[in-house]
Amino acid sequence: METKAYLMIKVDRENGNGHTAELVKELEAMSEVEAVIPVSGKYDLMAVATVDTPKKVAGVADQIQAKDWVKGLHILKVEAAVPNPFLDEVLATPGGETLRHCHQCGMCSASCPNVGQMDYSPRRIIALVRAGRRFEVLSSNTMWTCASCYLCTARCPQNVKITDIMHALERLSVRRSLQYGRNTATMYKIFIDTIKSNGVICEVGMMSKFYFSTILTGKMNPLIVFRMLPVAAKLLSHRRMPIRAAKMKEQKQLNAILKKAQALGGTQ
Amino acid sequence: MREYGYFPGCSAHKGTGIAFGVSTRAVAETLGMNLIELEDWNCCGSTPYTSTNELEAICIAARNLALAEKTGLDLVTPCSDCYIILKQANTELKAYPDLKKKVDACLAAGNMEYQGKIQVRHLFEVIYSDIGLEFIKSKVVNPLKGLKVAAYYGCQMIRPECSYDDIHNPKSLDRFMAALGAEPVSFPMKDRCCGGSMIIPELDLALGLVYKLLESAASNGAQCITTVCPLCQTNLDAYQGLVNRKFRTRFSIPALFFTQLMGIAFGIDPGALALDRSIVPADRLLSGFIKVPAA
Repeated sequence: METKAYLMIKVDRENGNGHTAELVKELEAMSEVEAVIPVSGKYDLMAVATVDTPKKVAGVADQIQAKDWVKGLHILKVEAAVPNPFLDEVLATPGGETLRHCHQCGMCSASCPNVGQMDYSPRRIIALVRAGRRFEVLSSNTMWTCASCYLCTARCPQNVKITDIMHALERLSVRRSLQYGRNTATMYKIFIDTIKSNGVICEVGMMSKFYFSTILTGKMNPLIVFRMLPVAAKLLSHRRMPIRAAKMKEQKQLNAILKKAQALGGTQ
Repeated sequence: MREYGYFPGCSAHKGTGIAFGVSTRAVAETLGMNLIELEDWNCCGSTPYTSTNELEAICIAARNLALAEKTGLDLVTPCSDCYIILKQANTELKAYPDLKKKVDACLAAGNMEYQGKIQVRHLFEVIYSDIGLEFIKSKVVNPLKGLKVAAYYGCQMIRPECSYDDIHNPKSLDRFMAALGAEPVSFPMKDRCCGGSMIIPELDLALGLVYKLLESAASNGAQCITTVCPLCQTNLDAYQGLVNRKFRTRFSIPALFFTQLMGIAFGIDPGALALDRSIVPADRLLSGFIKVPAA
């Protein structure tokens, strides 16, 4: 039975040990250790370990205790590991594995320029992923409101690749068809269709298709046309929006590559 | 002559950012750069593809990387979005061998292969790090003296990582503008988001972001904003009218590519710098700096 153990560790500060971050890395290098979280109080670190049988918990504890910088160790709790397929899916995407290191400090949410428009802040979305709340996460607008500015990623003290995780959540949302009604998702689809037919993007065609389809389905206020027309007119008159769509030559080659990618599916 | 593989990207090639592509070509000769455009490149895939299907997205980016590898040169792009997409695909192909295997199989279906030998670089990075400010200074014939510029870095050129500048407080573009003789103003919003392509599906959200940038530049006395990305320029320039209407402001701040300002400082014919593509006109502001060479 898969088992989760919470190990409280007291660090020996007197032996001239390295910085806490280095100790955290050393623990995280152990294959059984899933996450290490600095704590305050009687102990300094909490390691969360996953093993396949309860018997192996003692082995992990011994391994940790054998380190010369460990002054004390206490097994706080041992419990049956609850399967969390949603978390596993996110962890399996490139960059997704960094989610383990999140401390829930909230730097990401404080940095996000669009946090005010999100159903859940970036910090909360990570907490919800960890809690395995697939539906709430994938049907929310949070990742569709991310502008990919990477401010959260640049500032995260734990090097969590939050922007990459947002992109992963968008993909998982599309895979489960939970993205419907999100205008950003509609634009993405039109964008990709353009690549599949032309190889390159023609902005005027893409934008008109986008407004046409969102207005027709009632997802966009038709009055947007009056706001966007002057913008489009100026771009056209300044020769920044060629009407004739550009096309690549070897579209067949690109589509052969994409077809193979579809056949292979996923990244893992 | 320094040689580079060149990936203009859809916008700077013939789209809304065409002035970037045109002015890049115009300054390349003075800079001693030979930009060899990849033959029959495709769209980098941008955020829309990355956010929809990982494997397909990396495959279409990898096709461009494979084309670049054939030239044997590092790949340079002026677009910050293309830059991050191609660079990230390149990094992930190295970091995740299983992913690389799949991508190899897909490329093989199109009779292509990518071994991972090249680097992806931003045009500004190449000019700033390879060519260097001393060389730039030596080529300036019309110093942009007294021109107050807000140097706008945007997001994806400096984040999530940047080898030549501080990602939390970038200064390279300010130094570059100073090298042209211009006066970079303090611009606290210099690395904040313009909304990028989000301006299409989430207009009002993005206009709020553009407003903050314009407000920050204007209140710090900038006469123009200089950008390193075609999306940033389009949002700041083409949507400035909508910002003015939404927020009841009267901004009239030209957004110019750093290559355009560089071209003027180098004494290049302004007609070759595509200044007429700017919607917020820059002619009056720049007329004092343009010296018509004596016939």
